[in-house]
Amino acid sequence: MTVDTLFSWLGGLIPAMEGSGILLVISILVPCLALFLVVAVNAIVMVYAERKVAAFMQDRVGPMGQGVGLHAGKWGLLQTVADALKLLTKEDIIPEKADRFLFILAPFVIFIGAFVTIIAVPFGETTIVADFNIGIFYILAMGSFGVIGIILAGWSSNNKWSLYGGMRSAAQIVSYEIPAGLSIIVIIMLTGTLSMQGIIEYQAGGMGNWIIFANPFTFIAFFVYFISVVAETNRTPFDIPEAESELVGGFHTEYSGMRWSFFFLSEYANMLVVSAVAATGFLGGWHSPISGYFDSNGWGIFWMVSKIVFLIFIMMWFRWTFPRLRVDQLMNICWKVFLPVSLINIFGVGIWTLFFG
Amino acid sequence: MSADQEKLIAELVEKGLAGDMDEINAIEDRVLRGKVKSALAKAKRAAKTTTTAAPAEEKRVAETIADTPPSDNPNQKFGQIIEDTFQGSLDAELNDTHIQLKPDNWFEIAKWLKSEPSLHFDSLQCHTGMDMGENMLEARYNLHSMTHDHKIEIRIAVSREKANIPSIEQIWRIGDWFERETYDMFGIFFDGHRDHRRMLLPEDWEGYPLRKDYEVQETYHGIAIPKVKEGWE
Amino acid sequence: MGVIHGEEMVLNIGPQHPSTHGVLRLKVKTDGEIISEITPVIGYLHRCFEKHCENMTYDQVIPYTDRCDYLAAMANNFGYVVAVEELMELKVPEKVEYIRVIMAEFQRIASHLLALGVYGLDIGAFTPFLFMLRDRERILDMFEMTCGARLLYNYMWVGGVSHDLPKGFVETAFQFLDYFEPQIDEYNKLLTYNKIFVERTADIGVLPADVAISYGVSGPNLRASGVKWDLRRNAPYSIYDKFEFDVCIGDGSKGTLGDCWDRYYVRMLEVKESVKILRQALAQIPKDGDVHQALPKKIRPPKGSIYSRTETPRGDLGFYIESDGSPIPNRVKMRSPAFTALAVLGELAGGWMMSDVISILGSLDIVLGEIDR
Repeated sequence: MTVDTLFSWLGGLIPAMEGSGILLVISILVPCLALFLVVAVNAIVMVYAERKVAAFMQDRVGPMGQGVGLHAGKWGLLQTVADALKLLTKEDIIPEKADRFLFILAPFVIFIGAFVTIIAVPFGETTIVADFNIGIFYILAMGSFGVIGIILAGWSSNNKWSLYGGMRSAAQIVSYEIPAGLSIIVIIMLTGTLSMQGIIEYQAGGMGNWIIFANPFTFIAFFVYFISVVAETNRTPFDIPEAESELVGGFHTEYSGMRWSFFFLSEYANMLVVSAVAATGFLGGWHSPISGYFDSNGWGIFWMVSKIVFLIFIMMWFRWTFPRLRVDQLMNICWKVFLPVSLINIFGVGIWTLFFG
Repeated sequence: MSADQEKLIAELVEKGLAGDMDEINAIEDRVLRGKVKSALAKAKRAAKTTTTAAPAEEKRVAETIADTPPSDNPNQKFGQIIEDTFQGSLDAELNDTHIQLKPDNWFEIAKWLKSEPSLHFDSLQCHTGMDMGENMLEARYNLHSMTHDHKIEIRIAVSREKANIPSIEQIWRIGDWFERETYDMFGIFFDGHRDHRRMLLPEDWEGYPLRKDYEVQETYHGIAIPKVKEGWE
Repeated sequence: MGVIHGEEMVLNIGPQHPSTHGVLRLKVKTDGEIISEITPVIGYLHRCFEKHCENMTYDQVIPYTDRCDYLAAMANNFGYVVAVEELMELKVPEKVEYIRVIMAEFQRIASHLLALGVYGLDIGAFTPFLFMLRDRERILDMFEMTCGARLLYNYMWVGGVSHDLPKGFVETAFQFLDYFEPQIDEYNKLLTYNKIFVERTADIGVLPADVAISYGVSGPNLRASGVKWDLRRNAPYSIYDKFEFDVCIGDGSKGTLGDCWDRYYVRMLEVKESVKILRQALAQIPKDGDVHQALPKKIRPPKGSIYSRTETPRGDLGFYIESDGSPIPNRVKMRSPAFTALAVLGELAGGWMMSDVISILGSLDIVLGEIDR
């Protein structure tokens, strides 16, 4: 595991301080910094990608520009930089009647929720910050942490629209955790481990061994999981907590500038994490689709990232194609369709493994 | 939906079809109320499609109208019918452009105009006020029948001191907003209107802008209202 | 199980809100997600149209009508000039009539495209909106080609139109129609029959025909409730009696008759009918003729009053004009279709959920400029 590796490596480098607390702190901070970079780069790339994907789907060109200066760079590549600059320099408004402390706290809570989950995401055979033996469980648990931030944001803004958004979000995320979690149980049943690397190891040996193709039930489980996590990340067609045409901005109506952008950083970080879990759990993680080819460490990172990017692209595709569901329809789908289906899945996988496994 | 609820809805829908909406409107539970209302709409629609024979009857009525004697100008013809049914309600001689009525029993006349099958003025097309000068105001109603496709114009003149006309808001529901606007602009009061407020202007605006002698108030909440726009012409 | 009651909360939707289609304020009583009472508050865009009209000549009123329903300015021009011409008993040349019908029908398509696209946006679908605006843009280009303006045209004058059709207009128009007709199927695929869209709109906000008539609701909203009533057919003005087209009505095929989906779909069908009318009109339009020939030297209608109606994209647009024989109208009253459509909202929207209210409001296709005048 990286922290341990780093710690012992640093210890070897400076023998005088081997095992000291300072080295431990350093070896924790360095991966954190790296992770923060991952989140930031992820957001920058995704905001640009989202704009371009949307534009191409809508028969537009999206951000464009020639040269430098006031333009957004070639093909609008600097658009996100311009966005970030704008957000940084914007006035930070806190409503007078808002609960100041919670209002300031909320974006950080959401961001932390998204940030800490990345620790357990394996990007390659050795590229992982911490491979817990309960990795996937940890991601699920920490993933639901963000909803506290959303409720805080909704409540503390002292705005009726925000409150609506917060309440909707709470109901939605709590509900969709269940089918998502139950679908993950299917993976755990097959692999017998909670460790992310363990799950990936189980799928070695080409596409045929990926869990999604293991049996019909896991195939269904993948879609249940994926749709549930789209709902969990508040993306269209499940974006009712921020439903622009209904709730103005939902829980982030009152936020502006950098605080507002934290919501977006965490939304994109969340998308990254849930796609990574889907890729790990169902699509063979960093394994190449063809056994024995392109299987080196570097290719591992390539495969993982491209699987994640593919899933994220599908989420964007959803967003720019579908209308939005109504809140009760959303709940109906969750409790009346996904929950029974995922329970049947667990049962089915059990039977299947018993007879064919 | 439980069986109890379905039964309740069926009961209420029957009542609604009979014209008793009070009980439906009194339902506390909004989801239930919504369900009842949509069930009612469905039932009404079903009733309509089953009685497709109705138009023939309407046609007969239309023929009887066509039979009624000579003047084919609708304002003349229907003015005469109104005068026959409600003695002394006309305010002026019949003419080709409009029917001049007194305000007193306008509500009853309007109710009758809509409910009488041979007239069936089911749509209030337009309603407006008019400043006639000489201290008189006038309310004008353009009525139209979708079933018979005939239309009339009714005018009711009142003096400024006693500018009261019975409200027809409960007969043609659009009258609600039309009358509020006329009140807003002309200061004609509609007796019996259930929500008698200004429509377009703020509640505390002074004066009635479409009267010919209207003068803009000097200030509104401390904001000076410029009479002459500077930099024009 | 007993029903648990919470306190009701009063919520202001608007005047600044993404989906009130202008500066409309809805005072809403809510119990959680469910709306129990809804009161529209209007007047935020009141510009004293009717008072202005009493202070200017008849032809000066025309630009003001543009600004009432700014999404269908041609249709508003049309309604007004038809009323004044009827009052003056003025006969306009055939070519002018054709040009007017062509413009009005193009305007209908443009207006419906915006209405449909924005409705998709209300429901949360962004892409159809931009697709439809892309095609609307080409219609605006044609208007620009004709009279130089893209939004507020001041194109139709009493007795004529301001400019003759430019060279190549007819060809451009045919090109557009050929391009546009297949696009309708694309919209249908993308939005109309989308499962989520249907779920969100079918059976929502059912407007029974009798309520609609009592509220004076007109145009596509009325036709969606199954009433076959179109002024172009039932009381033809201009030269609409020369054209073949169907009056589209709702059939409740996805839910109940008169629901939001019907209102949406009737507009989609009407776009097709407008294309039909346009093809006929463009083929039949007389080659020569002076569009300024019948312009009166002075517009001075005889003493009297008139109430005249035309079918705009939003419904029956009525102009009540009273003349005292002078060149300045004594009174111009505009009976706007969106006004009556908004009046029915309070009746329609009670008991539905928050999201449904937005979808009902969007389906009525209101323009606040016309409501507040």
